Amino acid sequence: MLIAEVAPAQLRGELAACGVAIDCGAARVRVHSDVPELADLLRVVYRGYERSDAAGACDVAVRLRRARGLRRWVRAQVELLIDGSREMEPFPADTPLPLLEWGMNYALATRLNCHLLLHAGVVERNGRAVVLPAMPGAGKSTLTAALALGGFRLLSDEFGVVRFGDAHLLPLLRPVALKNESIDAIARLSPDAVIGPRFPKTHKGTVAHLAPAVEHVHARHTPAAPALIVFPRFVAAGGVEIQPLPRARAFARLAVNSFNYEIVGPDGFDALGRLVAASDCYELRYGDLTRAVQHIGRLLDAAAARG
Amino acid sequence: MTRPRPTPLPAAFLQSRAMLRPRPLMPEHVRLLLQALIDARSCAELTEARWELLLRAARAARLLGTVATRVEAAVPFAALPVFVQRHLAAGRVEARFRRQKTLHLLATIEPHLRATGARTILLKGAACIVEGLPAAAGRLPADVDVMVPRRVLDGLEQSLREEGWEFEKNDPYDQRYYRAWSHELPPLQCAGQALELDLHHAILPPLGRLRADTEALFASAVAIPGTPYHALCPADQVLHAAAHLFQDSDCTGRLRDLVDIDALLRHFAATNADFWPTLTERARHHRLLRPLWYALAAARAWLHTPLPSEIVAWLAREAPPRPMRALFGALATRTLPPLDPDGAPALRDVIAGKLLEARAAWLRMPPPLLAYHVANKWWRSLGSTRAAAAGD
Repeated sequence: MLIAEVAPAQLRGELAACGVAIDCGAARVRVHSDVPELADLLRVVYRGYERSDAAGACDVAVRLRRARGLRRWVRAQVELLIDGSREMEPFPADTPLPLLEWGMNYALATRLNCHLLLHAGVVERNGRAVVLPAMPGAGKSTLTAALALGGFRLLSDEFGVVRFGDAHLLPLLRPVALKNESIDAIARLSPDAVIGPRFPKTHKGTVAHLAPAVEHVHARHTPAAPALIVFPRFVAAGGVEIQPLPRARAFARLAVNSFNYEIVGPDGFDALGRLVAASDCYELRYGDLTRAVQHIGRLLDAAAARG
Repeated sequence: MTRPRPTPLPAAFLQSRAMLRPRPLMPEHVRLLLQALIDARSCAELTEARWELLLRAARAARLLGTVATRVEAAVPFAALPVFVQRHLAAGRVEARFRRQKTLHLLATIEPHLRATGARTILLKGAACIVEGLPAAAGRLPADVDVMVPRRVLDGLEQSLREEGWEFEKNDPYDQRYYRAWSHELPPLQCAGQALELDLHHAILPPLGRLRADTEALFASAVAIPGTPYHALCPADQVLHAAAHLFQDSDCTGRLRDLVDIDALLRHFAATNADFWPTLTERARHHRLLRPLWYALAAARAWLHTPLPSEIVAWLAREAPPRPMRALFGALATRTLPPLDPDGAPALRDVIAGKLLEARAAWLRMPPPLLAYHVANKWWRSLGSTRAAAAGD
């Protein structure tokens, strides 16, 4: 049964009692919560996920709960416990989903040191992965979302999970966090886009979450081979402009932007070397999402023809 | 996942006549963690749900690297569930990183240490790593502790600061607190270094109730072959760990300190014929008999550290008065284990932690100084609350 199909009251009960396990592919997260509105939010943004057996083993457990003491009633807050400890500042009570999502990102980024974790969106077509590294203001999430709605399979909008050894990319599939103008841009792009409620006034502005498509959730245990690395940059007035990037530069930029390159040491060096060697590397300036998606499709075809 | 009810401890715990034994009914995550540390082979039998609880407890206790090392040595890795392999691999990777960063830090400061011309003693994790002791396996050090004679400390601090090392705590009160009443400088940080550097001139606060003979520590230190460093002699290494076991200001989840003591005891007992007599002799000399008693009793009860019969007899002979023992045992039981990874800490555990912290502060400073320090901290915390409220 999918999470979207579980009755709200039942999901609320499960969140409060034994927790709900979410299988994201490379990791499973168990969510506990006494926040009543969370069940309805999860039924939208995690709609395509199986309500998998909560007793199965999880990599991390998070507990989103209403703050204790004064903050329960006056300018109420919600707080997140990761494996029992409060590692993030509480959020206002009307932004439970952004806190949960950021907290899960933090927990996964600090725990999955068995893989190289790039800060990047990842999509795939015909088993070949496109890695879209995040640079500030690059519009990585927007472009990743557009690709996911434009014929590519979404692996992650936040984590490029690179397996040691063969440098294949593992899905760590979660809702795509869209910010500010990109929410409308993605809603306009496709009538199929299921976007959760908007949360204004978070520290990153307005945030809304795009639910991953059911087919993508089904394929969340299927890795993809490295083929293409595109460093995107959003330029409001521009069309699409593409420029090859030397592999050494791509390597250095990916390493600097990784969550754990330094920690994983030689394994990460080796995996990143393989990833870059197996990929064509480009810089992409774009102002038009649809054309950017088409262009990336052509670059991926060219990479496939080459390799 | 429904939490299993706490199960009784294995019979061995209950039969052991050791003082300071863990509660007979202990939370499942603690039981699993202790069992994995005592006998990693037992992990082969765990269900995935138990593994999950164990791994999360190990991470909360900063013992994931240790558990990973021990499990990998005891159980065929490929036979473990895939998600368990992930976390053990992560623990191994994190320990490798911190070991590397420890060595990198030491390599960076080595010229400065050499320039002092004085004997440099590595303490705690840094010593274990450079000496290659089994206690280093899987360890996740957050800082590097180095001890030099007090007379060279100012010069060393100066030359490190010229190189870019800076104090994290820089307000005048903290600086004065450390310099006047502590056995170490405030932690030093440097760009490009993942770990902090703690420069010591002694192992215990100079005005505290527990004081070790610093000159004797330096005089008996042993050179680490192939390096410019010394380590405390084996007995002193154990006594240093014992003196800090229930003494650090953060008294929760300190099981890893006990795991250190256990690993040191096992290794030194196996490699030095006269280790045990030397240990009690040095404890007497440093006037650290009571901390040693608590450390040995706790290590034996919690981690089944094998002790020779004369030490067991010594424990019985030198036992502190029963009420002290009972109080201490109760507090240790509540504060050694990591927090429940599935819940918030119970109020009584928080209180036990605070009591141990109060005791640690009591041991560190004479009462008038303690009163002054507490008043000062309180006043400053009030100030920062006001500042936060004003900025809100």
